[in-house]
Amino acid sequence: MALLREDDRQHLINEFSVLTNPVKLVVFTQKLECQYCAETRMIAEEVAALSDKISLQVYDFEAHAEIAEQYGIDKIPATVIMRGGNDPKDYGIRLFGIPSGYEFSTLIEDIMMVSRGDSGLSAETKAWVAALKKPVHMQVFITPTCPYCPRAVILAHQLAMESDLIRSDMVEAIEFPHLANKYHVHGVPRTVINERVHIEGAAPERMLLGKLKEAVA
Amino acid sequence: MELSLGLGLSKLGLEAENDYDVIIIGGGPAGASAAIYTARSELKTLVIDKGLTAGALGITAKISNYPGVPGPISGAELVEIMRQQAESFGAMFITDKVVGVDIHSTPKMVMAGTGTFTAKAIILATGSMGRTSVVPGEEVLLGRGVSYCATCDGAFFRDQTVAVIGNNDEALEEALFLTKYAAKIYLVVPTPELKARDFLVHEVTTHEKIEVLLGTRLKEIVGTELVEGVRVQPRGGAEALLPVSGAFVYLQGGKPITDYLMEQLQTTPEGCLVVDSEMQTAVPGVFAVGDLLCTHIKQAVIAAADGVIAAIAADKFIHGRKKLQTDWR
Repeated sequence: MALLREDDRQHLINEFSVLTNPVKLVVFTQKLECQYCAETRMIAEEVAALSDKISLQVYDFEAHAEIAEQYGIDKIPATVIMRGGNDPKDYGIRLFGIPSGYEFSTLIEDIMMVSRGDSGLSAETKAWVAALKKPVHMQVFITPTCPYCPRAVILAHQLAMESDLIRSDMVEAIEFPHLANKYHVHGVPRTVINERVHIEGAAPERMLLGKLKEAVA
Repeated sequence: MELSLGLGLSKLGLEAENDYDVIIIGGGPAGASAAIYTARSELKTLVIDKGLTAGALGITAKISNYPGVPGPISGAELVEIMRQQAESFGAMFITDKVVGVDIHSTPKMVMAGTGTFTAKAIILATGSMGRTSVVPGEEVLLGRGVSYCATCDGAFFRDQTVAVIGNNDEALEEALFLTKYAAKIYLVVPTPELKARDFLVHEVTTHEKIEVLLGTRLKEIVGTELVEGVRVQPRGGAEALLPVSGAFVYLQGGKPITDYLMEQLQTTPEGCLVVDSEMQTAVPGVFAVGDLLCTHIKQAVIAAADGVIAAIAADKFIHGRKKLQTDWR
C-alpha cells in the first residue's frame, strides 16, 4: 500500500514542477534489524517517482559498507539529499531515521533547496560560513511529532549547503536512543554542534550563528 | 516503540491552498473581525489560531457589554459567532500553532505545525497572554525535563511521573497526550477551577492516570542535572514537592505574544508592537492589532475595531490603493 495519499501526490507533483537542478536521494537500508528501513525506502521511492528531476540510489548498509563509509553513514535508516545529474555534489545533508510526521516536510524542503542551489541564508551568515576554517558537525535531534523540529533541521541543512566544512544530521531521537542518551536529549529539537555546544529549540538564524561561532572558537 | 508514520501532510490536504492574500495569526476578536472584512472584500483569507479558549476573550466567562450582543454570553461563544460570520464570507480557519514567520520575503511566509503558508499581507493578532516571568529552575532545566511541548517530548517520559502546569485547552490536551507515555500525570492548576472546553475537562478529570491539583501554584522546578521534582503550593496550604522527572509548562500571563516573530519587529520595553494609524508595523504589509498593542484599552470591541482597520488597510496594501476603501459591493 502506498504511503502517500493521492491528493498529496498530486500536490507534490505540482510543488516539484519548479525543480531546476537534478536531486539525488541516497538511502542506506538493511533488510533485517532496522525497524523503519523499509518505510524510509518506500518514502524515498514514492517521492522520487513524482519528478524526473529526482533520482534514487538505495544501498545495503552492510553489503555496501565502503560506500556507507564514504558518505559517513554509521547508522540506518539514512537518507542523503544531494545534487544529482552530471555534476553531483554531496552537501553534507543527512536524515538519520525515518522522515515521517513533521519531518516529511523537511525531506521535501531539502529537495527543493538542493534543486534551487541556494540555501536562502542571510548575507551575514553566508559571509561567516564562507570564511569558516574548521569543520562543523551539527546533529539535530528530533521526534516526528514535534512541529518546531523541521525549522531547526532545515536551518542546519541550509548551513551544510553553504560550506563543505559543515555536515548537518537530522537524528530521530526515538530510533537512536543510545545517541539520545549520549547527548542528554530529553527534549527536542536539540542541536549538538561539534560534540560540545548545544542549543534547545528552533533557534533563529542569528542565534544559531552565535552558537556556531562558540563551537569553532 | 510507537512512531508516527503519518507523513505530516495535513497541509497538503488543503490541495495546494497554501497561498493566501491575507494570513491572520490569532483568531480572537481582533483576528476574527479582520477576517470578516478581508474575506468580504474577496481577499483569500486564512486564520491560524491555537484554539477557541487560547486567548483572553475565549476564557472570559460572561460578556454583557459587547455592542449589539446583549448577552450575557461567554467569550468563547462570542468568538465563535465572529468566526462563523468570517467563514460565511469565505475565510478559512485552522487550529494550529505558528512556529515562525518571514515577514521580509515575497510573498510573506508563515510556518505553522502543519505546514508553511504564504500571503501578500499578514495581520498579527496573537494577543497578550504570554508569560511575564519564569519560575526558579525553569530555564536551567529546559531540555532536561522542562518542556513546553508534550507532543514533541512526551516519548522521553515513558512510564515516568510528570507534571503539567497550566489551565487552558492546550495544557489539558497536552496532559491527555502524555497519558500515552507517562505512568502518572499531575495537572497543576493555579486557579480553583478548570477553564477549558467541557469535553477536555471531563476527559482530564476522569482519566485514571491524571491527578488534578486545583488552586495550586508552581513555585520552583527542582533538579541538578535533570528535573527531579516540582515545588508547588496549594492555596492556604504548605509547600510540597512532587517527585516528577518532567515538567510541562503552559502557564499564561499578560505579555504580548511575539516570540514567533523572532525579533523581526521591534517591540517597546513592555513587549508591545508599534503600528501607525492604519495598524501597519514598520514592515509594509504586516499589521498588528488588539492586545499586541500597548496603546489601547483591553476590550474585545476595541480589538475588533483594530482588526477592521487592519483589514481595510491590508486591502489597500494588496491592491496598491492610495486610500482606504470600505465599500466593496
